[in-house]
Amino acid sequence: MQPEPGQISDVSILQAIARRDETALAQLYDRYRVILFGLLLRILHNREEAEDVLQEVFLQVWRRAADFDENRGRPFTWLVTLTRSRAIDRLRSLAARDRVALAGAREPSEEVSDAVDDALKSEQKTVVTTALAQLPEEQQQPLLLAYYDGLTQSEIAKKLNAPLGTVKTRMRAGLKKLREQLGTKSVNFGF
Amino acid sequence: MSHEEYKQMIPAHAVSALDPAEDRMLASHLVRCSECRQELYEWQATAAVLVLGVDGAEPSPQVRERILSQVRTDNDNVSNTRVIPFPPPRRNVWSSFGSLGAIAAIVVVAALLVNAFVLWRENRAFRYEIAALQSEVRNSQLELEQKSKLLEMVEKPGTHFAELKGMQTAPGATAKLMYDSSGHAMIMAKGLPAAPADKEYQLWFIVPGKKPMPGKTFATDSHGSGMMEDQVPAEAMNSAVFAITLERKGGANSPEGSMYLSSGS
Repeated sequence: MQPEPGQISDVSILQAIARRDETALAQLYDRYRVILFGLLLRILHNREEAEDVLQEVFLQVWRRAADFDENRGRPFTWLVTLTRSRAIDRLRSLAARDRVALAGAREPSEEVSDAVDDALKSEQKTVVTTALAQLPEEQQQPLLLAYYDGLTQSEIAKKLNAPLGTVKTRMRAGLKKLREQLGTKSVNFGF
Repeated sequence: MSHEEYKQMIPAHAVSALDPAEDRMLASHLVRCSECRQELYEWQATAAVLVLGVDGAEPSPQVRERILSQVRTDNDNVSNTRVIPFPPPRRNVWSSFGSLGAIAAIVVVAALLVNAFVLWRENRAFRYEIAALQSEVRNSQLELEQKSKLLEMVEKPGTHFAELKGMQTAPGATAKLMYDSSGHAMIMAKGLPAAPADKEYQLWFIVPGKKPMPGKTFATDSHGSGMMEDQVPAEAMNSAVFAITLERKGGANSPEGSMYLSSGS
């Protein structure tokens, strides 16, 4: 995902945020709220928790924009990594407390209107879902359990009743294959 | 653990799937190894792309309001801070010395730049250290959870206990195994030698007259300690000998490697 031609680049927005420009933060929020909130809902399955974490993420961006280092990757990668990491932390702390209660209150992640979905670059979405679907089931399963359910490799091994070493090997192979597939597609991810 | 072994762990770290002990070890390696940090940034970019496969969703408008209101409060606090004016400039003594003054100024600026660079590097190192500490806290929480589970099992009526002793391959190693009436088992081993990169320790259930039944594999930390949960097969509930062998990664269907621990006499 990257800005449309003519839009201010994500790097420039982060630089403006580092100079405490409130409108720049609003701009970044408007650009990525839908996709990041979609990810949070997918991981947490609870609107209230997801909105709370989304707020935390953007306040962290506000306070840490100056730490962003372009040499480490694109702003989008930074934002997604930050969001996932916050979501997994929240998920694990909830698991210790009331995973059962949360599971009972699970809400399906609602899809947004077509217009908004279009803005999510459906071509990129198709490429990613196709690449995932092309992975063998035994590689896809541990990857999805880690990415969306926040399970560690041991937890995955237990859930799938598979040896830990096998889970590790399959997960590594799946990610490697995914990187190769996505890297050879003509769609520009901007990463 | 070798550099290559750490490198193998990076993809799982990029999707937050490492187990606490490994996560802790890798975090401290990342502080020292710039090559692995670079590798991590690349895997994080791959992991980030996966978000494009998720359906987008619209948060309520109040979230935007709350964020911007908090940010405005932050900015107001900054602008309300008392501003200390710079003192009026004094007469520039360097101008009397002409080019000598300019050279001295360049030296000072260069020293400041070097200082800024050193501070930037230190700041980066601190950030990694903080990340390592956060991961350590998370690991401690998980460790605590595991210990609570252990305690729960110890207190459960009908729990069976077995002690595994080190064989000639690891005379100092020991392990304790306990399992409840449903067969849910926990094993804690310590003093095991570090396993080679392509091998793991594996638990076996040995019932006289039958083929040894494979259990799960587990890794050990830098002190040779490891812990895992498994399920004791129904046939092994009453009269099994438990053993630990070193097998190829992922485990074997029948024991091929040397035996390190056994509950048999």
